Amino acid sequence: MIRIDGLGKKYGDLQVLRDISLHVAKGDVFGIVGHSGAGKSTLLRCLNGLETYDGGSLQVMGREVAGRTPDELKALRREMGMIFQNFSLMTRKTVRENILFPLEVWGVPRRQASARVDELLELVGLTEKRDDRIGTLSGGQKQRIGIARALALKPKMLLCDEATSALDPKTTISILDLLMDINRRLGVTMVVVTHQMEVVKMICNRVVILDDGRIVESGDTDRLFLSPGEGLRRLIRDEYAVIPSGTNVRLMFPREIANESIITRMARELDMNFSVVGGRIERYRDDVMGFLIINVADGDLERALRWLKDNDMFWEVLHDGE
Amino acid sequence: MVNEFAAALWETLYMVALSTLFSGLLGFALALVMILTGARGLRPNRGLYSTLDVLVNLLRSFPFIILMIAIIPMTRLIVGTSIGSTASIVPLTIAATPFVARLMEGSLLEVDEGVVEAARSFGAGDGQILFRVMVPEAMPSIVLNWAVVAINLLGYSAMAGAVGGGGLGDLAIKYGYNRFQTDVMIYAVVILIVIVQVIQSAGNALYRRIR
Repeated sequence: MIRIDGLGKKYGDLQVLRDISLHVAKGDVFGIVGHSGAGKSTLLRCLNGLETYDGGSLQVMGREVAGRTPDELKALRREMGMIFQNFSLMTRKTVRENILFPLEVWGVPRRQASARVDELLELVGLTEKRDDRIGTLSGGQKQRIGIARALALKPKMLLCDEATSALDPKTTISILDLLMDINRRLGVTMVVVTHQMEVVKMICNRVVILDDGRIVESGDTDRLFLSPGEGLRRLIRDEYAVIPSGTNVRLMFPREIANESIITRMARELDMNFSVVGGRIERYRDDVMGFLIINVADGDLERALRWLKDNDMFWEVLHDGE
Repeated sequence: MVNEFAAALWETLYMVALSTLFSGLLGFALALVMILTGARGLRPNRGLYSTLDVLVNLLRSFPFIILMIAIIPMTRLIVGTSIGSTASIVPLTIAATPFVARLMEGSLLEVDEGVVEAARSFGAGDGQILFRVMVPEAMPSIVLNWAVVAINLLGYSAMAGAVGGGGLGDLAIKYGYNRFQTDVMIYAVVILIVIVQVIQSAGNALYRRIR
């Protein structure tokens, strides 16, 4: 659906995107993550021509985005819905009027447009809010309306710009579930820009990490989180306290081995004591993955690591401040 | 005297209403062009924007009384005479138009850029964005600013007496000041105060309704 090759962009002297290459396949939920200022929103806006680029090639559905006439750009945008961090709805209008607007822009006949609005309201579960003013809605409801509006023209792709960053954790999950549902049921390909790791883990099947305008890591989400490289690790800095003595080791459990009693077996077989510093279960799309951080005395570290290796575990030694 | 007050009140309302209407339309059109051509506008055009920008500042820096006299030939050309209430509508309109343009430009600039971008993201054209997104979204602010313009024009209209425009301000100067009839001056001022209150309240009420 999207093929980017050596893309670059400058604002004056500032190089905001450098040598970006990536490929988004049909049906992907493709994550673009990075700190603020890493260039991810700019990259997203290049996809539907809201931003221009100065170098490389960017093809959407087989055609270069740059050099299109205004009408061709509009036609492209019709195929690509977009949702925003601050929802960007018309605050003085009703829910219905907001969803109707793209349909009116494209001259969809009144009756047909009206039916489409009802269909979309049902999809996002806000049928009863149809005639409410936007100002009266909660953040989560506003984003649902944003999604409905973005899907009004039946786009093949949905661009999400920090779509959940302004929402609380519970609402975030409900919005992500809705996006997943749309991806699955309607087959809408998604490009998701976010700085929230939970978002990537929950819905993205593929991801690139952007830092200072360049891609520092890319791949399938689950593999990337099981053996994170430098770029990802810098982003997910652990919030666990570091114990003064010994070394912290993070174990990662994909579902296949989550059930086996690795920890007790390790303690028994090695006849070794270690403390559990932290842990959590995280949802990755439909998968569940466990993380456990254990603290091993320095003298035992080598034996412990060898055992982990022999048992085909995914692990990582954490250093101070990480 | 009552008759003279009635006539003056009518003249004032006539001048203010029509000049508010005309300057509103002209200033609004000017504001739309400025919004379109501004640096962050939909069709940035530096040359055109700068020209309008300077023109607006230039006209706004004229003292009204000078402007009124300076454009007498133009007034005569448009309404056929340079004396009377109708004639004073021309300078009032010309004086208020750049003011309106500036205020409306401000109202339109306040519109959330995200909403504009969203409209663009599903393929809306410049005209659709301007008239179906920006203007409706800015409408409450535009209404409030329009009340400001009307009240300003009420103040300017007091000077219209200088070209025989009449009105309450003229009455207050002629009788109250020149003939030392303090009571006439006070009545005229009280009526002006009431008109200002009415305009502002109407603006506020409309604002609350459409917000």
